[in-house]
Amino acid sequence: MFKNMKISLRLGLSFSIMIFLILVLIGIGLNSIRKIHNNMDEIVNVGNVRTQLANKMISDVREVSIALRSILLDKDVVYRNDQIKNIEKYRMSYDSCFRKYEELVKKDETTFLNLMEQSKILRDESRELNNIVVTKSNEGKFDEALNIMLTKARPKVANWIITVDELIKLENEKSISNFEKSNQLYSSVQNYMIILGCIAFLIAVVISFILSSSITRPLKIATDLVLSRDLNMDLSAYQHGGGELGSMIQAFSRDISEKKKLEKELIDYRDQLEETVKERTSELSNLIIEVRETVNVLAASSSQILAATTQVATGTAETAAAINETSTTVEEVQQASKQSSQKAQNVADSAQKVAQVFQNGQKAVEETSNGMAKIKEQMDSIAQTVVKLSEQSQSIGGIIASVSDIADQSNLLAVNAAIEAAKAGEQGKGFAVVAQEIKNLASQSKQATLKVRNILNDVQKATGAAVMATEQGSKAVESGLKQSLVAGEAIRILAESSNEAVQASTQIVASSQQQVVGMDQIGIAMQNISQAGTETAVSMAQAERSARSLYELGQKLKDLIGNFKE
Amino acid sequence: MKKEISDLLRTRAIAMAEEPVQNNDASMTVQLITFILAGENYGIESDYVLEVFPLKDFTPLPGVPTYILGVVNVRGQILPVVDLKKFFNLPEKGIGELNKVIILQNDQMEFGILTDIVEGTQTIDIREIKNKPPTISGIGEMYLKGVTKENLIVLNAGKLLSDKSIIVNH
Repeated sequence: MFKNMKISLRLGLSFSIMIFLILVLIGIGLNSIRKIHNNMDEIVNVGNVRTQLANKMISDVREVSIALRSILLDKDVVYRNDQIKNIEKYRMSYDSCFRKYEELVKKDETTFLNLMEQSKILRDESRELNNIVVTKSNEGKFDEALNIMLTKARPKVANWIITVDELIKLENEKSISNFEKSNQLYSSVQNYMIILGCIAFLIAVVISFILSSSITRPLKIATDLVLSRDLNMDLSAYQHGGGELGSMIQAFSRDISEKKKLEKELIDYRDQLEETVKERTSELSNLIIEVRETVNVLAASSSQILAATTQVATGTAETAAAINETSTTVEEVQQASKQSSQKAQNVADSAQKVAQVFQNGQKAVEETSNGMAKIKEQMDSIAQTVVKLSEQSQSIGGIIASVSDIADQSNLLAVNAAIEAAKAGEQGKGFAVVAQEIKNLASQSKQATLKVRNILNDVQKATGAAVMATEQGSKAVESGLKQSLVAGEAIRILAESSNEAVQASTQIVASSQQQVVGMDQIGIAMQNISQAGTETAVSMAQAERSARSLYELGQKLKDLIGNFKE
Repeated sequence: MKKEISDLLRTRAIAMAEEPVQNNDASMTVQLITFILAGENYGIESDYVLEVFPLKDFTPLPGVPTYILGVVNVRGQILPVVDLKKFFNLPEKGIGELNKVIILQNDQMEFGILTDIVEGTQTIDIREIKNKPPTISGIGEMYLKGVTKENLIVLNAGKLLSDKSIIVNH
């Protein structure tokens, strides 16, 4: 509600509240001051005056009493008249004071009115009695007058003075009460003023805070909006109505959205323009490229044509020369073909000889393979023999072992014989020698068996090697047999091909004779070709000239196009 | 080859032709049966030797000391065989066919001792035997007669035969 107000309205409202508060404060203050002033005024202007008047009245009464006593005491007529006149004067002054007093008394002051009424009655009665006293004294009846005065007039006058004195007392009391009232009023007004002042201050602070925040917050939002250009910000509080700030924010957001729309359109236009320019440029460059290619092709073709025609021209010249050379060569070839036909005849003869040699070779190979087969058989029998030899050497080993054993036993026997001989003593000495000899024999035969065993070992090793060698030999013979068969086959094939060569050489002889005849015909044809070649050379020179002019044209075009950059 | 053989024959002939010097005093010589035991040469007096024969088919005996190898049958006579290597704490070698047994005998005892190889007989001068042998591994001094200068250890066969520890059956 506050947000939707205009700023001027907000300011006006706030300041009017403040002013109203100030006015209330001033009014209350003035009113209180006025009340205090009234009280003071009453004390000073009414109370004091009335007290003075009352005092004057009392003094007047007392003067009258004094004059009256003087009248009673002094018999002098003049003096008495003066005194009577004084009485009159004081009575008048009293009445005037009393009238003034009456004027000052308000109608609601009933106690005062009652007392005044009472004083009036007392005055009238006192004056009557005093008048009686004066008259009596004038008549010379002083005693009677004194008596009346003492018994009747004096108490009345005393009452009268008391009454007026009560008026003064009342007045004093009233003044005091007024003063107290105004004092109370003053202190209460002071408290009110302090409380109200505080409240007003608080209200003023609150209002100023609300006001400032309500103005600065939308301003900040507006600034943010303008700076960020973000239309997604929460502006719902300012969307509808909402015073100057709301309308300002709305205007900003509208402005930003319109600007954005405009920017977008501008970007679209720019993109379209760029695209169009790009298309046009690409089209143009394509066009230029095509033209350039065409011109290049044209230039290249023209140069190629020129080169080709030049080549053709030189070629025709060369051809002419070559034709001349060819005709001489043809003559040479004619000569050569005659020679080659001679050679071919020779070749045919030698081929027949070769075929004869191959047949002989074939026979030799067959004999070789037969020999190899025989060798194989013999190798097999050798192998068998060697194996037998190995077996027999093993049986020899067994025999050697038994011989060694016998030698061992003989040795033992010899030892025993020696022992026996020793036992026989002197008779056994000869036998001991025999035993020793037997022992020697035994050890010799043992050594012999060891040697035989060594030899046998060597023999066994050798036979093992021989077995291996015979196996390898038979294998080699087998492979030799195979190879001789292969060689036989190869020689047979060679013989066949040499036969074919003989036939071919016969054919070559025939064809080379035909060649000689053909070469003669070629010689005649070559002369015709030579003439035609000369004519071609002339016409090719013309073609070359026209090709050169075409090439120059192509180069010019190429330069022209080269000026267009992409 | 021929020369070697003729040399050998000649030396042998010379040796036989020589007068046996050592035999001139029979009481001072002693005939020994020599044998090899754990790679060392031993000799024993032939007076105590009955015979030598190859070790075949010996029967091990249960409940006897380890140095008693077993018993053998020599022509119908059952004899115990002592393994001197175990008896003297010499290094062991397996028993093979080549092992020979020397049978010792006196009027009280008869048993065989196992040897590796029996070399043969040898006659030596009794003075050649040195009483105090150099340190010889393991063999108790009481069974030794001495050592010759060819390092032949001469055993005391009489002591061996009369040793109570060998007598098991008695």
